[in-house]
Amino acid sequence: MIKGRHLEETVEALLQDERYAGHPLRQALEDVYRELQDQLHQIERITRISDQYQSASRDVRLSLTERCRRQLKTLEKIIRISDGYQKLMRENQESLKDASLTDVLTGLGNRRRLQDHLHAESIRSGQDKLPLTLVLADVDRFKEINDTHGHDAGDKTLIAIARALQSGLRSMDICGRWGGEEFLIVMPELDAVCAYSIIEQLRMAMAQREIPLNDHSVRITVCFGIAQWRSEEESIEDALHRADAALLVAKRSGRNRCVLADETR
Amino acid sequence: MGDLKIEGTASTPEIICDYQAGSLKMSGDSYPENSFEFFTPVLDWLENFLCNTNTPVTVSLYLLYLNTSSVKALMDIFDMLEECFGKGRAVSVNWYYAAENERIAELAAEFKEDCTFPFNITQLEE
Repeated sequence: MIKGRHLEETVEALLQDERYAGHPLRQALEDVYRELQDQLHQIERITRISDQYQSASRDVRLSLTERCRRQLKTLEKIIRISDGYQKLMRENQESLKDASLTDVLTGLGNRRRLQDHLHAESIRSGQDKLPLTLVLADVDRFKEINDTHGHDAGDKTLIAIARALQSGLRSMDICGRWGGEEFLIVMPELDAVCAYSIIEQLRMAMAQREIPLNDHSVRITVCFGIAQWRSEEESIEDALHRADAALLVAKRSGRNRCVLADETR
Repeated sequence: MGDLKIEGTASTPEIICDYQAGSLKMSGDSYPENSFEFFTPVLDWLENFLCNTNTPVTVSLYLLYLNTSSVKALMDIFDMLEECFGKGRAVSVNWYYAAENERIAELAAEFKEDCTFPFNITQLEE
């Protein structure tokens, strides 16, 4: 372009030079000059159009990039929110599962959770050849509390008993509400004699404790039936039946006591 | 053009679009099998309503769980509202959630992020 314009200026200067006014090649020079001007004009036009196309193409490219960037941002947001909802569902599911295994009144595990524990602990105990002891606890004269002080007092009693039981056990013991005023304690890695010692201390402590009800307080006693699982010769349910039988003996022999299943044989 | 009512099911929300009141209400869980098919009438209703009236529009949401495609559909609704709000239309969204489900408020806040129209996240009274 610069060369072309330079040539155009040179020819133009020659044509304006008076020394060559009558030169025989002047006409030919004028023709070349006009041809040159046309060519230059064409080149400039092509360049201008080409520049416009390039600029338009750049704009399209930029606009596409911008649109992709925005789409990507939207996609990221959808995924983020969606992940949040998945997490929410998982948490709700876990909390539902937990609720289905928890006794609403006492906050302890319910019968279903206890059954799960019994199953798991019996497998572990069988595999590791470790003792496993089951304890059934029943609140003495609970019907009287309900009838005399009302069901609200009965509920408060069960909550207090549940707390007392839990606080007197080892951290590895599992205590839950078996049903009504009955609790089951699963004591892994412990034989019946050692379990008896822990439970007897717990029974004595509970019998001394005053449970505050609405406008007064009461002393509540609890009976316990204790059975160590004989994994070689019986099912875990059989051990539970023996603990229940021991509990019945405790009830019949004056309440507020612990009875070992073996004593009832 | 009139009202639109879609009965809720276990996997789809109840949707009530009231033409006179200029309101769109969605409540329940949303994980339809075919999300596109499910939300198309709602998006169409809203588009027609926004094009053919100047009535202020209020969207009330009582949503619990949304699957990914429902999240997308809801974002499409908010995009439509945002565009109209930009042109001077009165638009608002009220997202209600229960106290025990506070995480829903966090998710609603994510939706709110890009919206310039009034977007209220309100805890339902017990």
